[in-house]
Amino acid sequence: MSAVTAGTAPSRSLSTRMRRAARRRNMLVNAGAAVLGVVIIVWSLLPIYDMVMVSLEGHDDVFSSRIFPADPSASTYWQVITQGYWYLNFFWYQYWRSILLGVAVTGLTLLIGSLASFAIGRMRIRFGWVVTNSALLTYVIPSAFLAIPYYRIMQDYGLMNNLWSVIWALVTFATPYAIFIFQNYGASVPIELDEAARIDGASPFQIYWRIYLPLMVPALVAVGTFALLLAWNDYLFQFLLLSSKRSMTVPVALSQFLNSDEAPWNLMMATAIIYALPPVAIYYMFRRHMTAGLTMGGVKG
Amino acid sequence: MKRLTRRSVLRGSLGVIAAGTIARPYIANAAAKTATVWWTQGFVPEEDAAFRKMVADYEKASGNKIDYSIIPFAPLRQKTISALTSGVVPDVIESSATQILAEEAWDDKFIDVGDVVETQKSKFLPNALLAAHCYNRAVKGRRYYGVPINCAIVPFHYWKSLVEKAGYKVSDVPKTFTKFLDFFKPMQTKLRPKGYRHLYSYGWEVSTVGDDPTNTFHAWLFAYGGQGLVTEDGKLHANDPKVREAAIKALEYFSSVFKEGYVPPGVVNWNDADDNNAFHAKQVVIDFDGTLSTEVALFHNKAEYDDIVTRGIGLNDEGKPITSQFAINSGMLPKGAKNVALAKEFLKYIIEPKVNNDWNKGGLGRWFPPMEEIVKNDPWWTDPKLDPHRPIYIQTGVYGPTQPFWFAYNPAYAQVMAEHTWNVAWADIVSNGMKPSAAVDKALKRIEAIFAKYPIAAA
Amino acid sequence: MDGTSVLRSGAASSAQALPGLRARRRFWRGGLQGSEYTWAIAFVVPYIAIFIVFVIYPIVYGFWLGSKPSLYPELFDDPVYKMTVVNTLLFVGFGVNVRNAIALLLSGFFMRKGWWVKGLLMIFVLPWAVPMLPTFISLHWMFDGDYGLLNNLLWSVFHINGAHWLDTRWLALGSAIVSFIWKWMPFWTIILLAGRMAIPTDIYEAAKVDGATGVKSFFHITVPMLANLYLMITLISTIWTLGDFNTIYFVTGGGPAMSTYVLANLGIRDAFDLADPRLGVAAVLTALPVLIPLTVILMRKLKHAEVQL
Repeated sequence: MSAVTAGTAPSRSLSTRMRRAARRRNMLVNAGAAVLGVVIIVWSLLPIYDMVMVSLEGHDDVFSSRIFPADPSASTYWQVITQGYWYLNFFWYQYWRSILLGVAVTGLTLLIGSLASFAIGRMRIRFGWVVTNSALLTYVIPSAFLAIPYYRIMQDYGLMNNLWSVIWALVTFATPYAIFIFQNYGASVPIELDEAARIDGASPFQIYWRIYLPLMVPALVAVGTFALLLAWNDYLFQFLLLSSKRSMTVPVALSQFLNSDEAPWNLMMATAIIYALPPVAIYYMFRRHMTAGLTMGGVKG
Repeated sequence: MKRLTRRSVLRGSLGVIAAGTIARPYIANAAAKTATVWWTQGFVPEEDAAFRKMVADYEKASGNKIDYSIIPFAPLRQKTISALTSGVVPDVIESSATQILAEEAWDDKFIDVGDVVETQKSKFLPNALLAAHCYNRAVKGRRYYGVPINCAIVPFHYWKSLVEKAGYKVSDVPKTFTKFLDFFKPMQTKLRPKGYRHLYSYGWEVSTVGDDPTNTFHAWLFAYGGQGLVTEDGKLHANDPKVREAAIKALEYFSSVFKEGYVPPGVVNWNDADDNNAFHAKQVVIDFDGTLSTEVALFHNKAEYDDIVTRGIGLNDEGKPITSQFAINSGMLPKGAKNVALAKEFLKYIIEPKVNNDWNKGGLGRWFPPMEEIVKNDPWWTDPKLDPHRPIYIQTGVYGPTQPFWFAYNPAYAQVMAEHTWNVAWADIVSNGMKPSAAVDKALKRIEAIFAKYPIAAA
Repeated sequence: MDGTSVLRSGAASSAQALPGLRARRRFWRGGLQGSEYTWAIAFVVPYIAIFIVFVIYPIVYGFWLGSKPSLYPELFDDPVYKMTVVNTLLFVGFGVNVRNAIALLLSGFFMRKGWWVKGLLMIFVLPWAVPMLPTFISLHWMFDGDYGLLNNLLWSVFHINGAHWLDTRWLALGSAIVSFIWKWMPFWTIILLAGRMAIPTDIYEAAKVDGATGVKSFFHITVPMLANLYLMITLISTIWTLGDFNTIYFVTGGGPAMSTYVLANLGIRDAFDLADPRLGVAAVLTALPVLIPLTVILMRKLKHAEVQL
């Protein structure tokens, strides 16, 4: 910092020394970043490595004292993808339904959440704050305890054993949060952009679609991933509201492994790892939208 | 289809274009001749297959339809509670969370099925009837709220090969309780040098998760003479000195084997599956676990299946048979069920001796039929040449002294089991340094407080 | 242009629009006539419909379940209740705050340029992507004193005999908190990362010209700009975490001897093992004295955030 201030003095030797110092500091920062990187890798992957190891081992090897699988075999994965175990007879069908669930929850949450927060935060609809505040009520009673009333209302709406029941339940939990994040994020997007567009004759929907959404991309990716993984991680609502084998999703199938006194954990872990792939892939596809900061200037300047 | 319309309206009002592939038309149970049934998923695929076959046979014979869902044990428990609380119920529930029968009967949530039980009443095992005869505080009396369809007891399981590798013979296993336990004690010392580095002699559950820990404690309590804690009339006898002595002895036993390192230290947080896993991985020589699930899990692995020895609870130190804990699975009709007549007919069908026998045999005998007549007339259950485990299971469960789980006498005990009062007492001794007698007194006091909430009127 | 003025104008970019505010209000809200008003209504109707159909009834029902006063003495009589409250405070307090603080710092790290940082971010989100149930079961084994990977690793690499992580109360609670942080840190890091991206880069650049880099720019730009978001996610995740039972349920099983129960676990046990959903709801409702102030702060914050625009 002091070096930068001193940089205004045009001394040749001083600037060389400065540059060297800067390079040294840079190296130090980079080394620190590398160390942090290693820590992050170990921290993130250790429990996952444990799952992978179990999935590659024989059934009884859970109780071992090894740190590498003794006799690794991918046969469990083969058993999962060929639906070769009785818990997994409808695995691919259930997988497909999980994907539908994830996509529907993500899509509806982003759509409903962004529309509402646009109307409240940008169009400043009267009493918009009442909507945001009452949305908080959704979280006052933990969702696990709303299971009983949910079970009842889904029956009343005729949605039992129907994927829509889970979709709506999860959208209900994701949307208030989506609205908060969008409003908070949207606060940094200058409203002058909207006004300029409005003066140019754009309709509210065009402003929403052309200006608001593109500027909100990092928040949309973050919240979209949240909604997807909410659907992906949930199992309580899925097993409560879906019960026939055909209406199940993968988490319900996974919960069967908890059923017995004696479960093939290696198969469970293999299933879990295969199940984890789509969110990772989807996140990978959208990651570049996460890494570009907002650049704005034109309107403000 | 009224419901479909309602749903469409709902969807429309939310202003969303539904992806047609996700929506499946809801099929209303319009036809009166369909009953909805929730059934517990088996631990082995054969159990589910046997149930499906039984349903198919019934549908063919009667022309009625059974719309069933086979649901894993834990989710089914939550689903059942949700259904009974919210009043939206199926016609029949069969749950192997056996406490639910007593707990919810207390709150008047079930339909009296005495007429179904009546059809086979003379044949049922007395304890199967006792376990289904639960107290309803609304009518201030006991009724049959469950139809017993099969039963189980809690046996010991040990590895023959491990006993032999340790240098002992299975034929030398003592019959009386303390000697029996002590017989296995030195085995870990003998086996560890032979490549079983992490092996322990015993796999006793002492955690506060699931039912195994309480069942384990009870077995020891009974062996030491404490089976009088709760009596058939639902009364608690916390002041019975015999019970107190037995409880102290049982807790002393479990704390000493733990402190001396004869059970894995992790047992303090093991769940119901962990002891089975440790046993199957040959990390413990002997385990104590309900039903024959430990054995039937290995049914298709003949060598391992035959290597396990099933053993009943045996004799106490005075040489008298110890009472076994006895559980039933039952068919229950929740209040609000729409097809009561059909549901009852289906349950009557399940307890017809031949149907019942075929179905329980199909489930590999993990549970046994609720009638002596059935097992007496079918050597499949009793012939040691056909199977090494079932004859012992039947001998203990049908012919030995048994006693229903105490929650059938008084649902207060279901809360004792959920609170794991006895296992907390164990932890008080091991972790908090409490004296066993003090820990027992504390536990009994808590149990008394719980029972005070469930007053049962004298008959 | 001196540094402080840049910083001030940056941090105050939201407040700077004050004179325009009144005009805009007239323009948008007062002016929300005709088709614009219809548009705005159409935009909020989907959410309001969801709220009416799927929130109001369950919430009222939930409160009704826990409304009988006699439930509460029964609950307080439970021998584990007091311990459970202490555990809940520790679990939520440490779990949420340690996690969010680290997430705030890590989100800065992930702003760095370079392919390897992006790759690292992919690895970093994995814990969040693997399904919860098997992950927590695997963590339960990983912490096992005899057979767990953690102790096996400690022994193989450092020749240290690891502790029996799950066998005593504080270690078990600590292990559960670590598991909780592990599972949910990626999510909050990404939310904070998105928040950092909303800070216009020119503020940092202007500050850099004036010599504010590193720690200084963190405290003078990032902290004020993210304060609102950070506070909001801390409050909201505290509310969520008060209802979390899965971490304890699967990692420690509540053990040893139910000494690591949190209120949600007690509630789940009462509701389903005791078959007494009313008592279960009562257990979680006893968190209301903490929940209500948090909700009120959050409501005021949200209203404020809206006006601040």
